[in-house]
Amino acid sequence: MTNEETVQQQLTAAFPFLASAVRAVRARRIFADVEYPHFKEVLEYLIREQKFVNLCTMTGLDEGATLGVIYHLATMEGMTVNLHTHVPKENPLLQSVMAYFPSAEAYERELKDLLGFNVQGLPEGNRYPLTDDWPDNEFPLRKDWKPKWASPEEGK
Amino acid sequence: MAQSNSFKIPIGPQHPALKEPESFSVALRGEKILGVDIRLGYNHRGIEKACEERTFLQDVYLIERVCGICSHSHSTCFVQAVEEIANLDVPKRGLYIRTLFAELERVHSHLLWLGVAGHEIGFDTLLMYTWKDREVVMDILAMLSGNRVNYGMNTIGGVRRDISPEQIQEVLKGMDILEEKTKYYIEVASQEATIINRLSGVGVVSKEDAIRLGAVGPTARASGVDRDMRRDDPYAAYPDVQFDVILDDHNDVYGRTVVRLKELMESYKIIRQLLKKIPDGPIAIKAPRKIPAGEAFSRYEAPRGEDVHYVKSNGTEKPERVKVRAPTLANVQVVKHMLKDRYLADMPIVIAAIDPCFSCTDRSIALHRHDSRKRDVVIWETVRLAGIEWYKKNGIDFTALNKRFMARLQK
Amino acid sequence: MAALLNMLVFPGFLFLSVFGMYCSFLERKLYARLQSRIGPPWFQPYADFVKLVAKENIMPEDANPVMFSLMPVFALTAVTTAVLYIPIWGTQALFSFTGDIIVVLYLLTLPTVAFFIGGWYSTSLYARIGAVRTLGQLFAYEVPLFMSVLAPAILAESWSLSGISLYYSQHPWYCLFNAIGFVISLVAMLAKLEKAPFDIPEAETEIGGGCFTEYSGRLLAFFKLALMIEMVVGGALLSSVFLPFGLASGPVVGFILFLVKSVIVVGLFAVAHALLARLRIDQILDFCWKLMIPAALVQVVVNLIIKMVIR
Repeated sequence: MTNEETVQQQLTAAFPFLASAVRAVRARRIFADVEYPHFKEVLEYLIREQKFVNLCTMTGLDEGATLGVIYHLATMEGMTVNLHTHVPKENPLLQSVMAYFPSAEAYERELKDLLGFNVQGLPEGNRYPLTDDWPDNEFPLRKDWKPKWASPEEGK
Repeated sequence: MAQSNSFKIPIGPQHPALKEPESFSVALRGEKILGVDIRLGYNHRGIEKACEERTFLQDVYLIERVCGICSHSHSTCFVQAVEEIANLDVPKRGLYIRTLFAELERVHSHLLWLGVAGHEIGFDTLLMYTWKDREVVMDILAMLSGNRVNYGMNTIGGVRRDISPEQIQEVLKGMDILEEKTKYYIEVASQEATIINRLSGVGVVSKEDAIRLGAVGPTARASGVDRDMRRDDPYAAYPDVQFDVILDDHNDVYGRTVVRLKELMESYKIIRQLLKKIPDGPIAIKAPRKIPAGEAFSRYEAPRGEDVHYVKSNGTEKPERVKVRAPTLANVQVVKHMLKDRYLADMPIVIAAIDPCFSCTDRSIALHRHDSRKRDVVIWETVRLAGIEWYKKNGIDFTALNKRFMARLQK
Repeated sequence: MAALLNMLVFPGFLFLSVFGMYCSFLERKLYARLQSRIGPPWFQPYADFVKLVAKENIMPEDANPVMFSLMPVFALTAVTTAVLYIPIWGTQALFSFTGDIIVVLYLLTLPTVAFFIGGWYSTSLYARIGAVRTLGQLFAYEVPLFMSVLAPAILAESWSLSGISLYYSQHPWYCLFNAIGFVISLVAMLAKLEKAPFDIPEAETEIGGGCFTEYSGRLLAFFKLALMIEMVVGGALLSSVFLPFGLASGPVVGFILFLVKSVIVVGLFAVAHALLARLRIDQILDFCWKLMIPAALVQVVVNLIIKMVIR
């Protein structure tokens, strides 16, 4: 059995409700979906039992009615798991994972600025990456936000 | 937190020590650093949003321009993700050429860094020497791809240009020259007292802290963290070549110098193996315009560390989401830790030692109008128009070149 | 009349400026060549000076205008005066009196103080840090410099530069006893001139220009000229104390030898600049107090012993 399949089996054994939500796509690539209430325990399991000690980055997604986040985690040996979760768009409350990964600060600030997540637990600090005088309620990465004058040239 | 006798000095956004704008607000007492407040975002250009508005093929060129020195890293990482979603089998020769450029880019980047490090500690001679050698690798890159940076080699499904046997010979000759020069630099770095004095004990990060704070690339490997995407998560032609991952246990800037120097030697080794083994065959496979729905996560060992791209497609010809995390964003968060209790004089070299590429890290231009007290975000078109107007006033007319742009404005 | 001519033309201001700028060109050319670059043409420092003088003089709002404008002139005056006591074309300087070697050393300290005051009164953060560093470096190199320059005076039993050069031209081989002192004073002079590896007060990659950050135009031109003249005068001081051979062979030969010696010293500075990285201020203080001062003490003791032996 290859490594990623081992991880997949162990993960679904520990959390039976994830049974159909974990896919070992190819070598070193696992994609998993988890509902946000269960997110913390799955994350802790992955960090402590499966040794996913690196947070590569966090991707925010505009999924229409919800805002999704993918936590891209990795082990020291090169295995990755892409843990996807989502929160409702009207109340996009997210708990910070800085306690597990200090480097999450930059990624979480990015989620705040560009997608409008409400991340709880961030320390005081400068915003990133937008400017201080960026207007409120303008979240550039949301699908309904259009930059002015955007009319892309057609490719050949 | 201000204590008595301490004052804050701004380093950046404009500063001779910084090649790109970012702001470090340093609280000092005398020469000792009490704390650093880092402000990023000066180079933010909204690339991820721009990617969603363009086709996959256009995005290859856009992503390449995230950074000048790691351009191939970004475009390869992106293209790999797209090829995984579309289940494309890139021909071997294409993979080899891609890897050749990856390693040439690494050589270029490390030589550039050596020069910058020398300049930051006041040792301009090292800068002049290494940048002269860098011309060798830039000439090779220009010969193979037509450009010194931003090579435009990648396309979805392979590479765009082939290399000829004569070019291969030129590359091998260049490698011989550079290998000798690098051996000399390794000797200098290990024996020159002033260099060792300035670089040792500076920017110290222990192995545990490096892992905990998420350091990547040579910055992490200099603290003994054994991570290299080329070996741990092999891509392109790396499974076919044999090389060592360079680790060091100095934990400081000197270690980072040693790691980069030795990685140069490994790159020469890899390039020689690639050129010896390169198979014949096509260099690319035709890719569909509409990429099927799916997602992929791609990792690449850029010269500065681990570069990750996440791409999600929705079955159209434009991506649903593109996420870029450049290595410098991971490393810059370690800088605060490195500068604690150090001296102001160490700041430039510590920041330079993570080999910062802030163009990779940020990706909006906020212009402050000097004539009004209000600051607003000026859009690109306004800036461009202002430029055209200014030149017209000074007798040069660009409107002919900008027909389409002017037509859009008159809409 | 003659005195005025001496002060303004030769060996005063005009000669020092021209020769100082030429030495600056030599230093930059050699430095460039060592880095496999081409380097500037011979008229570069002259062109730079003319250009700077023609530029606008911008003073920071908070700066003290009197101090800010006075310091460059002050520095320039100090170094130009120092040369009057240094023997250039023979064993006799233009003016000499017992104790003038101390006066020359102090006149050479004045520019450093002027840089500090100028930087401090600029009120910009970078200038103040540079000013403090200049002063810190002063604490490092002053003692070794003084001790090593005064050691040959002990042997010569004279406190006047002319007297010293007279003594050594009569006993040329005694110069060899001062070899340690020569090396120490060369290194200390590097520190005084704020040249690499001791150029931290002006470290552009850290504080963007140090004491001179806020200076521009005419005042900056004067500061830079003061530095160049300081290089010549410092070199002249060292060569008259440590390398006084040939001074007795007549004014023309003596003068030519002076030029040659100065050029050699400048060459040594350029080589040091090219070969060494910049040291941090704490490393400079360590180096000077823990290494140079003991060595200078050794030199003084050696000279005392030899003096007793000669008697």
